[in-house]
Amino acid sequence: MIHDFTYLRPGNVKEALAMLAQHRDGAKIICGGQSLLIIMRQGLVVTEYLVDIKGLDELNCLIYDSRAGLKIGATTTHRTIEKSRLVKEKYPVLVAMEEKLASIQVRNWGTIGGNLAHADAAGDPAPVLIALNATVTIASSAGGRSVPLEEFYPGLFETVLSPDELVTEVLVPPPPAHTATVYQKFNLLESDQGIVAVAVSLSVSDAGICQDARIVLGNAAPIPIRAKNTEKLLIGNKLNEEIFTKAGETAGEEADPVADIHASEDYRRHLIAVLTRRMTKEAWEQACQV
Amino acid sequence: MTANKYSVLNTRVHNVDGYAKVTGRATYTFDVKLPGMLYGKILRSPHPHARIISIDPTEALKLPGVRAVVTGKDTLGVKQGIWRRYPELCDEQILTIEKVRYIGEPVAAVAAITEEIAEQALDLIDVQYEVLPFVDDPMEAIKKEAPMIHEGVERNVNVTRHIEWGDVEEAFEEAEYVREDWFKLGGQAHMCMETRATVASYTSDKKLTVYTSTQSPYYHQALLAGVLGLRESDIRVIAHYVGGGFGGKFELDASQFCASVLSMKLSKPVKIVFTREEDFIATKRRTPMYYYVRTGVKKDGTFCARETRVFTNGGAYTGMGATALYLTGFFHSFPYKWKAYRYDGYRVYTNSLPSSSMRGFGAPQAMFCSEQQIDWIAADLGLDIIEIRRKNAHTTGYEVPGQATIGSCGLNQCLDRIEQWIKAKGTLPKNRAIGISAAGFMTGGIFNWFDSPYSFSSAVVTINYDGVVELHVGAQDIGQGSNTTLAMICAEALGVKLENIKVHSGDTDHCPADLGAWGSRQTLMAGNATKMAAEDAKKQLLEFASAKFGYNIIYDLDIKDNWVHNVARPERGMNYVDLVKEALRGKDGQRIIGRGHYTPHRKGMISPAYSYMVQAVEAEIDVETGKLSIINCTTAHDCGQPINTLGLIGQLEGAASMAAGYGYLENMPVEDGKVMNPNLVDYKIIRAPDMPECEIIEIDTYEPEGPYGAKEAGEGLTNPTAAALGNAIFHATGLQMKQAPIMSEMIVNAFKEKKKEGGTR
Repeated sequence: MIHDFTYLRPGNVKEALAMLAQHRDGAKIICGGQSLLIIMRQGLVVTEYLVDIKGLDELNCLIYDSRAGLKIGATTTHRTIEKSRLVKEKYPVLVAMEEKLASIQVRNWGTIGGNLAHADAAGDPAPVLIALNATVTIASSAGGRSVPLEEFYPGLFETVLSPDELVTEVLVPPPPAHTATVYQKFNLLESDQGIVAVAVSLSVSDAGICQDARIVLGNAAPIPIRAKNTEKLLIGNKLNEEIFTKAGETAGEEADPVADIHASEDYRRHLIAVLTRRMTKEAWEQACQV
Repeated sequence: MTANKYSVLNTRVHNVDGYAKVTGRATYTFDVKLPGMLYGKILRSPHPHARIISIDPTEALKLPGVRAVVTGKDTLGVKQGIWRRYPELCDEQILTIEKVRYIGEPVAAVAAITEEIAEQALDLIDVQYEVLPFVDDPMEAIKKEAPMIHEGVERNVNVTRHIEWGDVEEAFEEAEYVREDWFKLGGQAHMCMETRATVASYTSDKKLTVYTSTQSPYYHQALLAGVLGLRESDIRVIAHYVGGGFGGKFELDASQFCASVLSMKLSKPVKIVFTREEDFIATKRRTPMYYYVRTGVKKDGTFCARETRVFTNGGAYTGMGATALYLTGFFHSFPYKWKAYRYDGYRVYTNSLPSSSMRGFGAPQAMFCSEQQIDWIAADLGLDIIEIRRKNAHTTGYEVPGQATIGSCGLNQCLDRIEQWIKAKGTLPKNRAIGISAAGFMTGGIFNWFDSPYSFSSAVVTINYDGVVELHVGAQDIGQGSNTTLAMICAEALGVKLENIKVHSGDTDHCPADLGAWGSRQTLMAGNATKMAAEDAKKQLLEFASAKFGYNIIYDLDIKDNWVHNVARPERGMNYVDLVKEALRGKDGQRIIGRGHYTPHRKGMISPAYSYMVQAVEAEIDVETGKLSIINCTTAHDCGQPINTLGLIGQLEGAASMAAGYGYLENMPVEDGKVMNPNLVDYKIIRAPDMPECEIIEIDTYEPEGPYGAKEAGEGLTNPTAAALGNAIFHATGLQMKQAPIMSEMIVNAFKEKKKEGGTR
């Protein structure tokens, strides 16, 4: 049962930040509520104030600039991203990821800012956005800052946000040339959370060498993690089956998964190895063509 | 397709209550709100096994808004159960007094002015427990040194069941090939859209009205009377709309009992609605089982003998588990002619949530073991999977020795059609295969362990002045569409249009007693009662018509599509409504009332009729990750005469979805007596995007015992799917999966195991 709270509805971002500054730990931010309401119902979160930012139009945007890249406002819904032709053209991996994020009903309500701030290691957007080298813009009544998404999560269900701060946008840099980013999660039900997930972004030089690699593992550790040893294996090489297989094995080793009712630790490592091999190969083949 | 000889039957009809449901006007128990109503919550045991030292509600009662706290000591302490003829199997008090036997068992209930206050009050009830050693696995619980869960029940053996025919030893001697396997079957949650819910309202005239989510209003009326010390007829159970049952809602549940006890204490209405978590941890579930199967066959595939031993995880109480124990053993022989068969079943108490009936009633477990083993035998002997089944298949008129006589059986046609379907599919891509499973199922149970003094089904047809027919049935619509089915049968029998029929069900004050919606019984049993009642009313109308028309008495009169006519000269006649108006006048203004009932007689021990089916599941296996995808699920199905062809498809597809879930998804792990995934995030059930293509091939048969030849269609199809999926895996990969549900990790491990074995050989 959800405990009683006071509902606050700011008229603009400034007001929202003032409310957060005033109530600090006593307040929680709600937008689509797709993550928060579940844990409130389970009694895991009890809050005195709920600050609803749903109506803040300033935060609801999708803007692309060829130099700055893609700016996604925090209250943009998953469904909006999924259905955006702009995103489809520039970052098809984001659309593919969104299409498999929960159900249409959840995507109609859930927002990108809320998803990232919820800090669930099994969340879909974070691994993809980290692979795309995204940053998060954060505001507070005292000012603002920008944090690479990769550094946004200090630990399980934790973010670097202080109680008076609000995620306002996500910035995705323009995709470098000859780069492909792909994502796959393993689940038993279509659109379910991943038992594990792997995002791979590869850049190929004109000489056909892997120039850059960003491999991110989801639900393979308390937080989304970069598989840096695996990346090192790839960078500077012309990739082939042998390397893909080795990459998979390495990713399986450097993951730090837990056992739960859905999978043992061994099985998770195995799945990470399979998925990393498959995704590395897919990204490589795509990158060689673009 | 041949022309439909019926006016109403065998057509696609939308549910008679469809408008009320899709417009949100249907009132479920959850929607019931009475003046002065209080809200109840239940305090549950955190221990799998413990003695209750004391329960102190003092602090809870001090909380403003709390009206009452009740414990087992405020009740009559009756040990109740649905097997009323067998007092030793009536073992559940619901509000337990001395001991708790599973995590989630109710120990106290609170009524307060809001649900929130009631929930807060739970934390203030001080319960002192003496924690006892516990056991949650039947193979451990049956050991001598295991903790005793019910006093005096040695080795925790709750029920044993034995089925035997033929000379088993001799038949094994004759066999040219014998194989034995162990299997392990998991539980499954019923997962009704509507969780258990009750509003109980006791008034000072000693009458109790209970709105509840039930599969059988009559059972709950009778069970509540027993535990509350009231007369059955002073209890009115109302269930106009029920959001699913699947076998989980015909035993007494804690919402019904606790709301009634609180209401009687306070003389105020009390509402208790289970949370999803409560529905998971503290109701009952599909019975987990260990299965040992030894089978002997001739080299040509003729079945000789089978010997089966089953140990079921009964959980803390009996519930419907004794029936599940019998039926799993019975259906494990299905649908084949065994020369000799022996089954020994042991239901073992454990300290976990009780297991009971669930759609399929023990048969899905039985088929998972039997039908996979048949394919493995066929592979070992180089036999065709269809041929081996055809050779041994039930046929019309077959007698299952000492158990049942098969009145109609379309199994061979099912096998033919599935064989054709598989051939038409041609070669499949790598890692994809088709697995099949045959199955059969009962059409209602004959057993009367409930000891009902009433007919199994009854119906009353009342015809009003304007031709509208009031059909009163005790049968319960729980979403499966029985009101529609019965309305169709009534309209067909009476010869009127469907829109003339109004169905009244779900109210014990106004509807005749009926055992309710379980065991696939209503189409046949309530259908026969309805048909009889409609024919009774029709006879009265035709008597009047005959006198009025004045034809030679050699002519037959009939009513069809609202036209009362001479069968030999159908153009001669009159409108049904006009006839009714006149007929009523001739009866001194009385409405025309027809009565009907049905109780099975001389139909063996199990059921008056059996459905048959063969299902083909086409599945793809990702051999690296173990992920299964069901591509197609096609069933050749013999349900006798279909009544509502649209409703039939809904039932069959719904069964396939639930059965596929049992096959590869709905894992329900229990650790230290605790259900580990009591929520819809962690408990996986098939959702719309995961639903495979389903195809139904209807096999035409006629069941002499059924109304218009109809038999069951709602439940049997839960039986074959997990087995067929296992067979698809076997044919695609060679893996023999002996545990259900077949989780992807098990497949990966089985591959590893196989590799290891291959390496050492």
